[in-house]
Amino acid sequence: MSTSLDTGRARAWAWIAHLRVGGTTPWLAWTSADAPDLGRFLPGAQQLELLRRLNRAGRPSPTLVDRVLNASAPGRGRPDLELVGVDETRRFGPPAVDPAGLSDDELLRVATGLLAAHLARVRVDPAPPRRTRRLRARYELAGDPWLASTYTAELVADGRPAGGGGRSVHVLGADVATMLAHTWARASFGRGAPGWADFLATVRARRRLPRRVDLPGVVERFRARPHTGQVGVVLDLGALPRLVGVRRLDPVADVPAHATELARQVGAALSLHVLPAEQARLLGSVLRPRLERVAGGLPAVPPEHQDWVEDAAFAIRQRLLRARYPVVGDPDSLLPSPSEPPAGSVLDLAIELLMEEVG
Amino acid sequence: MTSRVLLHVGTPKTGTSYLQDVLFRNREVLEAAGIAYPATRHDSHFLAALDLMQLPWGGLQAEAIGAWDDLAGQVREALSSGAGTAIISHEILATASRAQIGRALESLGHRVGEGAGTEVHLVLSVRDLVRQIPAEWQENVKHRAQLRYGAFLDQIRDPERSGRIGAWFWGVQEIPDILDRWGQELPPSHVHLVTVPPPGGAPELLWKRFSQAFGLDGIELDLEGERHNPSLGVPETTLLRRINRKANAELAPADYRPLVRELLAHQTLSRRTQSPRLALPPDLHPWVQELSATWIAEIERRGYDVIGDLGDLVGAPPVADYADPDHPRERQVASAGVDAITALLLDNARLRHEEDRLHAELADVRGALERAYATPSYRVRHWLVVRLENSRVGRGLLGVYRRARGRSSRSA
Repeated sequence: MSTSLDTGRARAWAWIAHLRVGGTTPWLAWTSADAPDLGRFLPGAQQLELLRRLNRAGRPSPTLVDRVLNASAPGRGRPDLELVGVDETRRFGPPAVDPAGLSDDELLRVATGLLAAHLARVRVDPAPPRRTRRLRARYELAGDPWLASTYTAELVADGRPAGGGGRSVHVLGADVATMLAHTWARASFGRGAPGWADFLATVRARRRLPRRVDLPGVVERFRARPHTGQVGVVLDLGALPRLVGVRRLDPVADVPAHATELARQVGAALSLHVLPAEQARLLGSVLRPRLERVAGGLPAVPPEHQDWVEDAAFAIRQRLLRARYPVVGDPDSLLPSPSEPPAGSVLDLAIELLMEEVG
Repeated sequence: MTSRVLLHVGTPKTGTSYLQDVLFRNREVLEAAGIAYPATRHDSHFLAALDLMQLPWGGLQAEAIGAWDDLAGQVREALSSGAGTAIISHEILATASRAQIGRALESLGHRVGEGAGTEVHLVLSVRDLVRQIPAEWQENVKHRAQLRYGAFLDQIRDPERSGRIGAWFWGVQEIPDILDRWGQELPPSHVHLVTVPPPGGAPELLWKRFSQAFGLDGIELDLEGERHNPSLGVPETTLLRRINRKANAELAPADYRPLVRELLAHQTLSRRTQSPRLALPPDLHPWVQELSATWIAEIERRGYDVIGDLGDLVGAPPVADYADPDHPRERQVASAGVDAITALLLDNARLRHEEDRLHAELADVRGALERAYATPSYRVRHWLVVRLENSRVGRGLLGVYRRARGRSSRSA
């Protein structure tokens, strides 16, 4: 005699078989129970709904389908949830759910875990070392960590490593909101960061800007170092090629807010597979170039933080002017201008990447 | 001979730290008795659990990469080398998903429906919710949580368990669900429940039950370990929560662990044993009693091997003088604060002395270096290099000289 549990399980396995071949019917609209048990246990509702979303976006490969169905979401959060209607007699465990009603965050935990596992398997050969040019300017770039590290990498790739006795130090800056967004992005693509809102809340609670964004502080620190030449602030990045002795430098591409958030979450999951240095290398050299192609804006400073960000920007400007530090560019460009919160779905982007990378 | 793996998967706050300490310190004695407890450090099984369940844990996850496979490999090796039994124990395993459990059992040699595989026995130590609920909140506070006791209770009573707190709490505490997940492929006779005796009983009773569950009776073990997870009183937990609110933004996890959890919580505040103890609010007792009764009935129905008494899960009646940690007596919190400041001052003084000692050592080394550099020829060469480095032509000449001598002389 078949029980309601048998019927519910059969319906669930039939739905999974439907999803395996690219089906997109939501669970609640699924009625067929014509399938045998296909495994030891039913995958969680999060995994199944993610697979349905992937099917809606295209045709995931059999490999990707298997990986989704066998995945467990990394990190803390709700456990793998059961499908509503499979076992009406179940009295323990988290309540069963309609997978279509799950939040994006629930699906993202699974998706970012899969992206991280994929990224951890990528082997990147280091670029062949470029012979150092004999005739080159001695420089060091500091300040905004996103700009400084990216320009430095470009110059190093061109045979112009930073450093050397008597080097000029160029402290790169932008408006403070952008520098904060860059600092968050740099950490998100590095060894990890909290979400944008928590990042801002932490900076505010500390009552001081991140060290590298505090441009006058950076100038003071470098001036105190021995064997350092001129130290100045560069706000007009168009002048940078001349200062470092090259004809041109590619402009540094920003990664939009939702893409950075995705990188941050993938990074958190990646930290479970590889050591921190490798995590930063994979995020920076594999994921970042792909995410730079995503359209969208940097994260906006929400209204509750605008006052202190503005005050901090004004204070930096005043300190630079008072100390008469050399500044290339307009000091007023440090002041943030209001911006709208950027649009963009992190989950949609994760699905797009899964289809490309694992698919 | 059938080889067995005893897999102890929880629950937290049931004497697990003490058990794991005894097992770790007595590895060699156990090995001689044919029981393997493969671990190279105290937290080996914790790291393996983090790895299996893909859990980040304040930066520790970097040390956990590959730890489960390593542990499973050691278990298989021990069993194939003649050990009759291997033990794995960590309480956070309770929250593993079905997929993770499937992977874990498979990696230990368990085969579904086949007689030839490793015989896996599940051990779950359990304690009444009357004690577990306040203990879990306190554990959260000792792991940087800032939420009040009332907010914690609201979260665990949310039927959706949508928040992290509720999801984690029931993941490691809902006994029938843990057994559903972990025991899905095991016969009930291979599932062993160890109940924690009610408060006030003989202190060695819990150990006797563990000893029976893990087959340790008759083995001469050193039981005098120091490692345990002491509990805090109401004002002390409140103080810690307030410290979290103030310091979390600034204090990195790597500093929080030794300073707040170890120095303040475990070494200082836990010694204040006269302050009111954390307890379940009296108005929640009926809910907890009802829940516990359904759990007990379900466990009896499933026919697991119970070591102890399922009646232990009922818990004690409400306390007469309930102390609410959300509305503590400020005088008591201030007193705990003074103890905390004193402990920090003493530790700071110790560090200052250490700093002075290191300064003196550094000065000695510098003196020795200066004496080595005080030769006239070194001074002339140094003067020349500094002069040359300040001009483009000079740097060029230095470059030519260094290339001629080879790169190894660059720092000369």
